[in-house]
Amino acid sequence: MNADASHGDFESGLKPLWLRAQSGDAAAYRLCLELLAARLRGFFKRRLVGLPDAVEDLVQETLLALHLRRGTYDPELPVTAWVLAIARHKLVDLWRRRGRRDALHDPIDDVAERFLAVDPEDGSAKRDLDALLRELPPAQQRAIVLTKIEGLSVAEAATRTGASESAIKVQVHRGLKRLAARVRSVDPT
Amino acid sequence: MRTDTLIEMLARDAGPAPRALAARRLAPAALAGLLASGGIAVAILGAIPAPMFASHVPWTKIAYAGALALATGWLTARLARPAASADAPRGLALAVFGAMVALGGATLWAEPAELRLSALLGQSWKTCPFSVLFLSLPTLAAALWALRDLAPTRPRAAGAAAGLLAGSIGAIGYALHCPEAAIAFVAAWYTAGIALTGALGAALGPRVLRW
Repeated sequence: MNADASHGDFESGLKPLWLRAQSGDAAAYRLCLELLAARLRGFFKRRLVGLPDAVEDLVQETLLALHLRRGTYDPELPVTAWVLAIARHKLVDLWRRRGRRDALHDPIDDVAERFLAVDPEDGSAKRDLDALLRELPPAQQRAIVLTKIEGLSVAEAATRTGASESAIKVQVHRGLKRLAARVRSVDPT
Repeated sequence: MRTDTLIEMLARDAGPAPRALAARRLAPAALAGLLASGGIAVAILGAIPAPMFASHVPWTKIAYAGALALATGWLTARLARPAASADAPRGLALAVFGAMVALGGATLWAEPAELRLSALLGQSWKTCPFSVLFLSLPTLAAALWALRDLAPTRPRAAGAAAGLLAGSIGAIGYALHCPEAAIAFVAAWYTAGIALTGALGAALGPRVLRW
């Protein structure tokens, strides 16, 4: 019961922030991802007891998936339910990739309670996203580096590269999609 | 890369999330599939004679398959979004199916006993389900492709829903070719073709809807 109440608190704090993030508030979005990353870390850590090295990789993979598929969030649903469904999907996908067939047997309450546990420790991931980023096609890599790492605006990146603004946005999106696909196929452990 | 760097990267200049993404991806897929299956039905299988369009013959089928397409399209859109409930669209699809079976059963009951079997089987019961399956393939491919950009967390169920949607749309196309008039025939064999496509979608889902 206690867990239910605090779970409700987490959701009621997260939701308005998430809705602002969905409508384009980058600062709110960043805060949401930070809050969620800490909880995802706790969630995966409890389920990957034998694979501690895989935890941070899975956190990063899930964050990428949340980002690429945030258009599938339905404002009528709790944000935590949407995030948990994706996190569980990613966990099952990891087991499947590693040849484990047993499904997850978590009762929903149990999941909600454990999802609450914050794990702020930010161990570096085993899989090297920077290296994967460098393997992207040059145009996608450039668009991501300019707008997402060097922090240029889309307009500035467009001027710098001579591509149109919409082309830059498309390259960023395609690059992140390809990165997410590469992340799935490169299993470091 | 550290996780906080990744978060920084994802959030920077992220812009608003796309709205109504499931509908915007699935609706064009369904529409393109409808045009393809109608086009193939008319161009390759041949359309029914024009006067028949004044009778109930094609329209009963189109109404049934169209209602199923709406219900299963809704179902597919729900299954494309994590944590969304599929109960309402599944109930609607079952209600449409149930109504058609009841209607088919009632019309069959009204026939003289010795004519019932020939009304149910018509001239083409052996080929009808496979023709529906064949005409559904463009939609199935387009719908599965659309789902890959969405977030189906239950790939088998999402694949099955996409298959049922594709089957329903294939059945609309097949109605342009099929001269069978008995409602019981439609309830049995069109449904069989749609179910067949649903099974194909369920088989493909876990393979192609990985993300």
